[in-house]
Amino acid sequence: MKILPASISRRELLLGSSAGLGRIALASQLAQDDARAGALTPKKGHFPAKAKRCIFLLMEGGPSHIDTFDPKPKLDQLHMTEFTKNPTKFAAAMNTGKRYYVRSPFEFREAGSIGIPMNRLFERFAKVADEVCFYRGMQAESVNHPTALYHLNCGNQFGGDPAVGAWAAYGLGTENQNLPAFVVLPDKAYPQGGSANWSNGFLPAHYQGTALRSEGPPILDMNPPPGVAEAEQRANLELLSKLNKAHQLEHPHHAELAARIESYELAFRMQAEMPVVVDISKEPKATRELYGVGHADAEVDSLARRFLLARRMVQAGVRFVQIVVSGWDSHDYIEKAHGARIRSLDQPMAALLADLKRTGLLEETLVVWAGEFGRSPDNGVRGEGKAWGRDHNAKAMTVWLAGGGAPRGTIVGATDEAGGAAVECVHPLKNFHVTLLKLLGLDDARLTYLHAGRNKQLSQTGGEAIRELIA
Amino acid sequence: MRAAVLHLAFFGLSIPLGAETILATLREKCLGCHGDGNVFGKLDLRTRDSALRGGSRGPAIVPGRAADSLLYKSLLHQGDLKMPPGEEGKLPAETLDAFRMWIDEGAPYEPPKSASVNWGNYGRDDVWAFRAAGKTDGSVDSFIDAALKRNGVTAAPLADRRTLLRRVTVDLTGLPPTPEDVKAFLKDPAPDGKAFARVVDRLLASVQYGERWARHWLDVVRYADSNGYSNDYERPNAWRYRDYVIRAFNSDKPYDRFIEEQIAGDELFLDDPEAVIATGFLRAGPWEHTGMSVAAETRQMWLDDVTHATANVFLGLTLGCARCHDHKFDPLPTKDYYRMQAVFATTAFARRPLPFLETERRDGFETGKAQLDALIAQTEAAIAGRKKDGLTPDEKEAVKLHTKHLAMHKESAFRYQPYAFAVSSGLEREEWNDVGPEGARSYMKKADYASAGVHVLVGGSLQSPGQVAEPGVLTAIERYSGYPAPEIPKTASGRRAALARWIANPANPFTARVMVNRIWQYHFGKGLAENSNNFGKMGKKPTHPELLDWLAARFIESGWSVKAIHREMLLSRTYRRASGAAPNDPENRLHSHFSPRRVEAEALRDAMLKVAGELSEARGGPGTFPRINTLVAYQPRHAMGTLRPIYRPSPTKGARNRRSIYSFQQRSLVDPVIETFNGASMDMSCERRESTTVPTQAFSLLNSEFSHEVALSFAARLSREGGDAVERAFELAFQRSPSASEKHEALKHVAAMTEHHKRTPPAAAPKLSLERSITSELTGEKHAFQESEPPWTYEPDVRPDDVTPAVRALADLALVLFNSNEFVYLY
Repeated sequence: MKILPASISRRELLLGSSAGLGRIALASQLAQDDARAGALTPKKGHFPAKAKRCIFLLMEGGPSHIDTFDPKPKLDQLHMTEFTKNPTKFAAAMNTGKRYYVRSPFEFREAGSIGIPMNRLFERFAKVADEVCFYRGMQAESVNHPTALYHLNCGNQFGGDPAVGAWAAYGLGTENQNLPAFVVLPDKAYPQGGSANWSNGFLPAHYQGTALRSEGPPILDMNPPPGVAEAEQRANLELLSKLNKAHQLEHPHHAELAARIESYELAFRMQAEMPVVVDISKEPKATRELYGVGHADAEVDSLARRFLLARRMVQAGVRFVQIVVSGWDSHDYIEKAHGARIRSLDQPMAALLADLKRTGLLEETLVVWAGEFGRSPDNGVRGEGKAWGRDHNAKAMTVWLAGGGAPRGTIVGATDEAGGAAVECVHPLKNFHVTLLKLLGLDDARLTYLHAGRNKQLSQTGGEAIRELIA
Repeated sequence: MRAAVLHLAFFGLSIPLGAETILATLREKCLGCHGDGNVFGKLDLRTRDSALRGGSRGPAIVPGRAADSLLYKSLLHQGDLKMPPGEEGKLPAETLDAFRMWIDEGAPYEPPKSASVNWGNYGRDDVWAFRAAGKTDGSVDSFIDAALKRNGVTAAPLADRRTLLRRVTVDLTGLPPTPEDVKAFLKDPAPDGKAFARVVDRLLASVQYGERWARHWLDVVRYADSNGYSNDYERPNAWRYRDYVIRAFNSDKPYDRFIEEQIAGDELFLDDPEAVIATGFLRAGPWEHTGMSVAAETRQMWLDDVTHATANVFLGLTLGCARCHDHKFDPLPTKDYYRMQAVFATTAFARRPLPFLETERRDGFETGKAQLDALIAQTEAAIAGRKKDGLTPDEKEAVKLHTKHLAMHKESAFRYQPYAFAVSSGLEREEWNDVGPEGARSYMKKADYASAGVHVLVGGSLQSPGQVAEPGVLTAIERYSGYPAPEIPKTASGRRAALARWIANPANPFTARVMVNRIWQYHFGKGLAENSNNFGKMGKKPTHPELLDWLAARFIESGWSVKAIHREMLLSRTYRRASGAAPNDPENRLHSHFSPRRVEAEALRDAMLKVAGELSEARGGPGTFPRINTLVAYQPRHAMGTLRPIYRPSPTKGARNRRSIYSFQQRSLVDPVIETFNGASMDMSCERRESTTVPTQAFSLLNSEFSHEVALSFAARLSREGGDAVERAFELAFQRSPSASEKHEALKHVAAMTEHHKRTPPAAAPKLSLERSITSELTGEKHAFQESEPPWTYEPDVRPDDVTPAVRALADLALVLFNSNEFVYLY
């Protein structure tokens, strides 16, 4: 049972909003002292695994496999061949009517020792291709953004279920009790469906994804409103502690009181530690430049900051970091739209893998890159036949894995010659979820939570691991 | 894999689990070539014997050994023989699993017998809720005391009056009692029991009672004012359902009628406008249809949602599992799931014209309309004059954004129009067709609602339609309780009416038990059966089954009066016990004492406003918009193809500071104060609020703009009302005087803070930018544009620079009181 102590030194340390490093060291020590035998204590997984943590790069909008990592020369022949897709019961309005095939406007190169094809705009990423396992066999179910996003993030097309990161935190706890177990680094604009994409669902609230904000304090309300001085807050907390202490004496059998008092202490340890972790100016100049921090292109700079922050987070002991990169929904002008996306992503993404490798973190860090679906080889006829783009396609996509026990420098699975559907090593999304958990040492079938009378699991109804994706 | 293990473990070898599904699949997928007329490969799968005998390739089934059975191997599509043929033919994985288990279990062809009472393979105790209630006699206390005695546990003494008044007032109204309420109760010379009964009656008669208990119901029915998903459009008339629920609790509407109205009000009581509004229940879940969705899928999502919700809410059964396979634990075959779903097959979404009722709030409509009109005009102006050609990319994105916002505001304008968010049986009128602003183009037409039934979907997949299920109810209920299943008409109209009547019937073994159990849960912290949404095998069994049955019987006897059940529970000694230790009953399963609990998010917010003297008395009407964290309000959020508008709080204090039940419930944007304190999910039925303690709650309560604003209002109130401010603060927040040492500390604090504030002038709130940018889907480039401030002026809240340093110091005290454990826990 911990009561906010009266000793000034400890208080200062807990309340310091401009905390220096000395304070932090002490705070961490204290955190270990009373490491909660609770929800977030580090736990052993179900099987031995290399990956101890995960960085999930969520590509919102549906990146085109055909224009990134799975080129289709056949489309050069079919280009502009027109056909009509009749409306069927199972097609969205978007996918029917007069259509034509669209070739990729991009040039491709071969990267890595086995010659992995990738869009030539991935200049730097090509250099780390030998760390990456590209998977072309995955199939989603929905061609609608919000439901497909929920499916990818939470295993279920309806919102409301726990996100992959929440399951990972539930299964493994977290290494640093002063930071959230599951951190999300969203784009400035939140994705469709909002924070339900990183929800704890029916799992206890400890496992909720904490979205770090790019402006203001990184965690909502972490700091008092402007004008509230440190001394004022300290005095308030001192009085609070006295009232709570007296109250606790009146209710000695009410165990939750101690937990709530402790939660205030934890909050202030977080308040002290978080600013240090998010301060990327602490990184050597060379590292910042590697990622592209300070790049003339603001988009590169913004992504670079988040990718570097992700590395700092996992290094500080966060279990699961998700970065949301939106802007992949290129129904038209794919050359411009995908081109711009790839140009700004290339450097930070390559830097992340190189940096993780350099620091020895890659072995134990699983990096995942996935969108909610792939894109179609054909498109509706619009923009006078010049606005080449692609519609949504749940039957084919490319996702990739790196580090943390994933195979290196290889391609698994294949799509048909136009890129319309996966044909080799085909697996539904739920098997990919089972695989991710397995790489983290967790067994989807045993990682369950009794809710509404059912032992629920990420895959919903069980699935199998994709053995080709495990080294 | 795991699924299979569980199946076998729970059902043993003799159980024809899933036989019905398997046989249906055989009929659908196999017999065309291997039985009915054709016997390709000399294989006839029509009987078990002929399947075992097999065809030219040998036996199709080796009972008990799926892996060696040709039938199973061919279904896997892995060898040279692939059945059903073709890439498209492969059955879903769940169906393959079911086949494997079925063969491993001996491949029985006989479906389970349903004659007379046959526990089948279900333990008698596991189907307790399917069985008719036993006749029992007693009272809440007699059942509870008997169990205490049996277990040798001594009950706690009764709580003191002050504790009890706070407990029951929050419990029944969601608000703390006033110091005047406390004084009156403490001074009441009547004996404790009688004085307490008077309090209960007073609270049950208050309008705040309905607001509190409707919130519980809205949790269960996953109510929201918006559609969810990508655009998350407003459901502009849903508020009428919310107010209907409040009125229903306040008027003690008989619960059987309450059920009938929500499931089939339009069919049963067309002349009663309340009953039409009530059908909003059927559409309460998240639902959206756009050009990017598949009509058959969005329709199926609703059918699944409404089937599941109806069983969950009224019967306490989790039917969702039976969508893909016969329920693993409960006697709920897939066939029954689709039979019940077929009841809704003819139900269409309808925006029905329905004049406002006398009891519905229309105050503020004119102002609200004017504000929205101004917003529409502002948005139109942003688009006006922009021709399609010759726009810069920035302008193009801005037009796209404002066009979306315009559609949203125009949809919102319907909130002031006399329509009901309702349904009809068949699409009665084309103009009622309510599929959302962007969905009409490809959604269902009139003829689509004419179907006789729905297809059983093999593995729950729309791509694998099986046999047709005609409307019906859950067959196990008749089997175990003797309560006959009704004939459900196959006409478009009357299906829901029959279902509603079957549920809202004293003979239905679930209905009354489920509701009295919910009421018990809200009073005592957890239900007699702990999983109030799951009365099946996997739910916790009732701790006091006879008490549950007695309460259910009392409920029915009382004419399904919810208030009568409140009285039975609240006036018991069991409810009035003090909290405290009970070494022999640590989890309080025997109700030897009162379990302390944290107040829910809404009750916490409402209590802060009430204590501060800021809680608005206005009730009902379209949802209002409280002030929420500014960063969250301004957070850019994607909608389909563009960004959503910023969150705009209501202009007047009266609208912002209403009870939380009247806050606009937006699925994609929850007030962070509510969210942090374990608010209810709006996507799934919430059977009980979590009360996890996490550090972000400390951040929220200590640092949020909301906390600081309300604390300042509280301080301003204390200073305005004069007298001993510290004394009064404790009385309002805790319903007691401060102890001598508390008073000393509080005064010392206020004095020190007054000095501090004299030295430290308040800081101005930073102005947030309304500059927006979006990465264009077209070009991948960022386009910047400006979002407008709302076209209205805000009635300001009290600001730190409006008040003296002494009042700011009192606000520090107020903030501490709001954060204290005593304020957030109930004893």
